[in-house]
Amino acid sequence: MTSTTTDMRTSGAGGLRSWLERYPFLPALVIVVALLALNGLFSPNSLSFRSLTGLLSTYMALIMLAIAQTYVVSAGDIDLSAGATLSLVNVAIVVLMERWGGGAGAVLLALALGVLIGLACGLVNGLVVAALRLQAIVATFATSIFFIGLALYVMPVAGTPAPALFWHTYGGRLLGLPFVFYVLAALAVLLYLLSRTRIVTELLAVGDDQQAAYQTGLPVVAVRIRGYLLSGLFSALAAFCLTGDTASGDPLVGGKMTLYSVAAVVLGGSALAGGWTTVVGSLLGALTIGLVNSLVFFMGTPSEWQNFVQGLAILLVLMAGVLAGRRARV
Amino acid sequence: MKRFIAAALGAVATIAISASFANAETFKIGLSNGWVGSEWRTQMIDEAKEAAAKWKEKGVDVEVSVQSANVDVPGQIAQVRNFIAEGVNAIIINPNSPTAFDPIFAQAKEAGILVIATDAEVSSPDAIYVGIDQTAWGAAGAKWLADTLGGKGKVVAINGVAGHPANEMRVAGYKSVFKDYPDIQVVNEVNANWDQAQGQQAMQNILATYPDINGVVVQDGMAAGAWKSIMDAGKTGQIAATGEIRKDFIDLWVKDKLNSGATVNPPGVMASALNVAVLMLQGKELKEPATAGQYKNAMYLPIPFIDSKNLADAAKQLDGKPGYYSYTNALSIDDATALFK
Repeated sequence: MTSTTTDMRTSGAGGLRSWLERYPFLPALVIVVALLALNGLFSPNSLSFRSLTGLLSTYMALIMLAIAQTYVVSAGDIDLSAGATLSLVNVAIVVLMERWGGGAGAVLLALALGVLIGLACGLVNGLVVAALRLQAIVATFATSIFFIGLALYVMPVAGTPAPALFWHTYGGRLLGLPFVFYVLAALAVLLYLLSRTRIVTELLAVGDDQQAAYQTGLPVVAVRIRGYLLSGLFSALAAFCLTGDTASGDPLVGGKMTLYSVAAVVLGGSALAGGWTTVVGSLLGALTIGLVNSLVFFMGTPSEWQNFVQGLAILLVLMAGVLAGRRARV
Repeated sequence: MKRFIAAALGAVATIAISASFANAETFKIGLSNGWVGSEWRTQMIDEAKEAAAKWKEKGVDVEVSVQSANVDVPGQIAQVRNFIAEGVNAIIINPNSPTAFDPIFAQAKEAGILVIATDAEVSSPDAIYVGIDQTAWGAAGAKWLADTLGGKGKVVAINGVAGHPANEMRVAGYKSVFKDYPDIQVVNEVNANWDQAQGQQAMQNILATYPDINGVVVQDGMAAGAWKSIMDAGKTGQIAATGEIRKDFIDLWVKDKLNSGATVNPPGVMASALNVAVLMLQGKELKEPATAGQYKNAMYLPIPFIDSKNLADAAKQLDGKPGYYSYTNALSIDDATALFK
């Protein structure tokens, strides 16, 4: 579901390679399993059901944001406003839920509006990047400042609590299972359905070779805008998860998450140049970041070295993943 | 028989060990810091570790476990989760967000863990805040400036990060003071994101636009930058501006006789919070419950102030320290004990 260039390569290049071609997220999966094992080794408690549920519910927002990033990266673009979109949707839905009384209807209506706001942010990005042809990295950096400005207008300082109904649902259980597992299942279905549409294939075609895609008759501008719309949509979903985990609005909450989302995409095995991406890999990449952070602590790293070791570990994981991925692609 | 003796000896040893454990109280405290961009934070953690070591003399074993890294809000929530998984007795956190930790602190409390926020207030009813009142911090600097200027003049403000709770509280603090001085006119307010270089640049712009200003309200490290611009412009004698608490700046202040006053946000706040935490873990109760502040869960510490009167003392405390070292102040174990019943 990920590579458009598969058929260009000769077959019979070995079992591992063909496996990596079909499942480009395999290196990321191996790394996540290894990190889980290491975490368990240093702190057995960290593999308890409760801890794993906690990991998932805290990192679900980054998972969503990494997936948002993956779709634009597929087309060779980037979205540095993903975190700002998340902040804007976060404060908007929290303010709306509070204003409308915090009942079930209010929550659902606010979420629907949140999706629209995410899509609107994506549309703005798509228009400036694809239609106006501004450089994606600078244009989305600029829109990120604009979106944060809007978020600060909606909520000048962090504070408004989300209705209990909302975050109790996200952090609670449904039919005996933590709610976040249902979120994961719904995400899997959504990703599967998207992978069956033309959108993803077209994005990858544009990312692989924009000129060629144009010459084969693909509406390149429209395709790239669709990529940003998907990014906006998943940034909004990320905001829902974040709001569920933090139960409040904070106009600055997403700022630091943008680059982590880019890191997660690359850790998952996607190529930033576009044309070769894996949403499952990005999901695993986001978990990798979370697991590395925990592992650094559980290993007993002295506090003054934690940042250093964390960066080093992410770099090592990146190198391992890239080496494995390159073997599959070359 | 041999086996029986071995087992009996083992049992005796076990009892002896557990008895000695019962004698010395042991508490495990997790320190969480989500931003490592300044030496102030490093000093904060170092002082908290020293404070923990001092409990040994009182027969209490305080084991600290530190998580300090640049993380986003979910990353710091994960830090708290790690502490819960590790089974600490208390968590002391310098939080990246005032509101985002409500659900996770609720889980910590459920697990029987005491949560104390320091340096930045949190909204959670399951935590308390031990630190300074940022509003009073902002007010103290403004009060000094207004009095230094004799209650009249043109003033500019260089603020931190817009939307950051501590910044908004400090801004509210200086505004509330200037309201009482009708002849003080705040001609402009800019944001320089708590960055020394941005503070310097902002001050340059301000001096170019308003050559006749009399006073500047500026926070933390930005003050050193702003003062650099004031000195470069040759206006050292004409402008009064708030200062900061790092040794480099204090030295400059002494040398060039700056007209400055610095409200102190001491890096010792986490050490103070740790001492309060240990006393709470011992089951003691505060004389005055922590109910101050907008979230009704705060216990405010006194805010030291440095001006020309006590500048020499401050310089003496910092003598021999590295240039980035901040003037500090913390509740000692005895100070903290005095706050409890």
